[in-house]
Amino acid sequence: MTTISIWRWPTPNGLPPLPLVAALCAVLGAMWFTASLVEVDWVHLVGSLGKMAAFAGHFLVRPDWEYLPQLFDKMLETIEMTVLATAIAIVVSLPLGVLAARNATPHIVVYRVVRDLLSLMRALPELVWALVFVSAVGLGPLPGVMALALVTVGFMGKFFAEAIEVVDHKPVEGVRAHGAGWLQVRLFAMLPQALPDFVGTVMYILDHNLRAATILGLVGAGGIGYDLVMAMRLFQYDRLILIALAIYLVVTLLDRLSDQLRSRIIHGARA
Amino acid sequence: MNKISKIYTASSVPAFPPRPRNLFPVWLAATLAVLWLIVHDLEISFETLVYGVADMGEYFSRYREPDFSDLSRYLELMGITLATALWGTVFALVVGFFLAPLAARNLSPHPLVYRLVREVLNFMRAMPDLLLALVFVAALGLGPLPGALALGVHTAGFLGKFFAESLERVDQGVYEGVASTGANFPQLVMYAGWPSILREALGFTLYILDRNVRMASVLGLVGAGGIGLALHDTVRMFDYGKSGALILVILVTILIIDYASAWLRRRLG
Amino acid sequence: MSTISIESVTKRFPNGFEALKGISTEIAAGSFTVILGPSGAGKSTLLRLLNGLEIPSGGSIRIAGEALDKGNLRKLRSSVAMVFQQFNLVDRLSVVTNVLTGRLAHRSWVGSVFYLFRTEDMDIAQQALARVGLTDKAWSRADKLSGGQQQRVGIARALAQRPKVILADEPVASLDPVSSEEIMGLLREIRDRDGITVVVNLHQVDLAKRFADRIIGMNSGRVVFDGPPAELSPQALRTIYQREGMEHDNHLDLALAYA
Ligand SMILES: Nc1ncnc2c1ncn2[C@@H]1O[C@H](COP(=O)(O)OP(=O)(O)O)[C@@H](O)[C@H]1O
Ligand SMILES: [Mg+2]
Repeated sequence: MTTISIWRWPTPNGLPPLPLVAALCAVLGAMWFTASLVEVDWVHLVGSLGKMAAFAGHFLVRPDWEYLPQLFDKMLETIEMTVLATAIAIVVSLPLGVLAARNATPHIVVYRVVRDLLSLMRALPELVWALVFVSAVGLGPLPGVMALALVTVGFMGKFFAEAIEVVDHKPVEGVRAHGAGWLQVRLFAMLPQALPDFVGTVMYILDHNLRAATILGLVGAGGIGYDLVMAMRLFQYDRLILIALAIYLVVTLLDRLSDQLRSRIIHGARA
Repeated sequence: MNKISKIYTASSVPAFPPRPRNLFPVWLAATLAVLWLIVHDLEISFETLVYGVADMGEYFSRYREPDFSDLSRYLELMGITLATALWGTVFALVVGFFLAPLAARNLSPHPLVYRLVREVLNFMRAMPDLLLALVFVAALGLGPLPGALALGVHTAGFLGKFFAESLERVDQGVYEGVASTGANFPQLVMYAGWPSILREALGFTLYILDRNVRMASVLGLVGAGGIGLALHDTVRMFDYGKSGALILVILVTILIIDYASAWLRRRLG
Repeated sequence: MSTISIESVTKRFPNGFEALKGISTEIAAGSFTVILGPSGAGKSTLLRLLNGLEIPSGGSIRIAGEALDKGNLRKLRSSVAMVFQQFNLVDRLSVVTNVLTGRLAHRSWVGSVFYLFRTEDMDIAQQALARVGLTDKAWSRADKLSGGQQQRVGIARALAQRPKVILADEPVASLDPVSSEEIMGLLREIRDRDGITVVVNLHQVDLAKRFADRIIGMNSGRVVFDGPPAELSPQALRTIYQREGMEHDNHLDLALAYA
C-alpha cells in the first residue's frame, strides 16, 4: 500500500500505459514459452564462456601468409559477385519499380501483380535460392550471382517503387501539361526526382549484398564463404583469422563509403 | 538592373556559356567495361546460363508436387526458427538500447567513448551472422541457441547504429531543455532521447525482426538449429517433394511475418 | 546580496568568434532583469553560460556564492532553471511528464529512468501547472499544444525545479502579442510572489520597459547600458542598437520610434 502511494507513473491512474504493458507482456510471454525451443540454458551459456575464450585464444596464431594470394582471389570474387548481381538488379528493378509504383503504374492490376512478384522474390533468403540454383546450374559463382540478383530485385524494385510514390506531383503535372507522353512523364518528371533516393537505396543494397556474398560459398555458390567453412571445419585458425579480417576490412570500407555518399546526397553535394 | 532590361537585337543574343561537359557516357562506358571484366573473371559462361535458364522451367517443375507428409515436423522446425529470430532480436534490442546513447555524438559522455562504442558496433555489423553462428556452434555445441546469439550480436550492431543515428537527429534544443534542469546522463537519455525516437526505433526493430526470421531459416546450414538444415539435406538428396514442401512452409511464414510487420509499421508511422 | 555575479567573463567559440568580450556585473536576488540587444549581441550566449550550457573561455560565474564549474554543474543547474525561445519540450511526452523533468535533478536516477515519480513530485508538478493555468491539459501530449501553451509548460517545468533563478532566452520571440503579454506577466508574477530572480533576454523595447526592474543593454559582446527602465533614453537605445561602423542610422531611429 505504502509503496503504491509513494511511487507512481505520470499517467491519470498512476499505472504505466496499457499498450506498453501489453506489448511488453506479449514479448516476454513469447520468450518464456519459446525458451525451451531455443534450448536456452543459462548454466550452459555461462559455462561455455570459458570455451568461448579458449576459442578466441585459437586466433592467437601466426597467420598463414601463404594463403594470402588465394584469399585475395576469393575476396575479389566475392566483390565481383556483389557488383555484378547489384548491376543486373538495377537494370531489372528500374522498370519493375515503375510498374509497382501506385502513381506510375499503367494499371492497378499490373501494380498488384508486380508488387506480389517482388515480395515473393525477396521472401526467401539468398542462401536458399543459392542452394536451389546450385543444384540447377552447378557449383561456382553463377548460381550465387543469380540468387543475389533475384533477391535484390525483390528489395530494390520495392524501394524504387516507394521512392517514386513519394515524388512531388507538381513537376509531373508540369511536364504532362506540355504534352509529354506516358514514358516521357516517367522518365523526365518522376525518375529525376526519385534519383537521390535510388542512389541511397543502391548503396544500402550493395552493403547488404556484400555481406550476403561472403556466405554464399557455404552452399558452393562462389565467394569467400567456401574457404571460410573449410577453414572452420579443418580448424585452420591461421587462415580463419585472415579471412575474418579480410571480411571485416572490406565490409567496413564499403560501409564508410556508403555512409559518406548517403550523407552527401542528403545534405547536398558539399564537403 | 539595366543589364537585364537591355534589349538585344537578333545578332547580339549572347551565346550560352560553354556547355558543362557531360560525363555520363564516359561513366556508362566505364561501368559496362568493368562489368564485362567481371563476367570474364568470374568465368560465367553464357552457355551454362542459357542452358540453365532453358532448363530452369523443367527444373522447377520437379518441385511441382510438394510432399507434406512430414508437415507437423516442418511446422515445429519453423517454430524453432521463429523463436530463434525472436530471441536474437530481443538480444539485439537490449544491447542496442544500452549502446546507442553512448554511440550518439551529441549524447555520448565522452568523445572517446563515442569512438570506441561506434567501432564495437561496426565490428558486430561487419561479422556475417553465419560466421558468428559457426563460432558460437563451436563453443556452445549444435542447437538454436548459438544461432540466436549470432543473430543477436550481428543485428545489435545494426540496431545500435540506427538508434544512434536517430538520436543524433533529435533537435539539440530538446536535449538542452532536459539538461538545463540538471538531469544526468541516464535521465537525459530516458527523457529527451528515447521518447523522441520511439516510433522510429520500433520501426527499425520490426524491420530487423523480419530480417532475422529470414536469416534464422538458413542458420541450420551451419548447425545452428531451425528449418535450414532440413532443407539443406532434402535439396542435397534431390528429394524435390520434401524440398518443395519445406520451401513453401518457409515462404508462407516469411510472407505472413512480412505483411504483419508492414502493417504494424504503417500503424506506427 | 546578489544571486548571480559575473566577473570579466569572455566567450570565444571554437571557430574563433568572440561572442562575449568581457562582461562584469551583479544581478541582485529577487530582481527582474531584462537583457536587451540586437540579434547577435551575445544575449543567448551569456544566458547559456549562466546555466552551464556553455563554458566560459575566461572569467568566472558565481551563483549564490558558488562558483560554476564542471564539478557542481548539475547541482547548480537544478537551482537555475531555463526557459527557451523554442520551448524545447519533449514533444512525445505528456505535459505532466515534461513538467516532472524539472524534478529529475532532485531525485536519484534509479526510479526516474523507469518514469517513476514520488507523489511529492506529482504534487509539485500539479501546483506548477496550476500556476500557469494548464491543469486541464495535464495529460495532453506536449506537441498538441499551441505555442503560448507550450511556453507555459516550459515555465511550469522551470517552476517545478523550485529554482533560485529563472533564465528566459527570448521567451516570447516565437509568440503572438497576446501570448507574449501573458508570458511576460507570468514571469513577472513569479518574481513578485516567489521572489525568484528572473533574467529575461528580449529584443522588444516596449516589453523591456514595462516589465523590467533593471535593463542591461548589450551590443557586440559588451554591456553598453545598465540602469532602470526610466533611464533608457532614445540616446541609450541608439547605443544599444547601433551597428558597428555606422555613425548615425536613420532606419534605426525610425525602427526605435515604432518599437
Ligand atoms: N556555437 C557557436 N559557434 C560560433 N559562433 C556562435 C555560436 N553560437 C553563437 N555564435 C555567435 O555568437 C554571436 C552571439 O550569439 P547569440 O549569443 O546567440 O546572440 P543573441 O542571442 O544576442 O542574438 C553571434 O554572432 C553568433 O553567430
Ligand atoms: Mg539569441
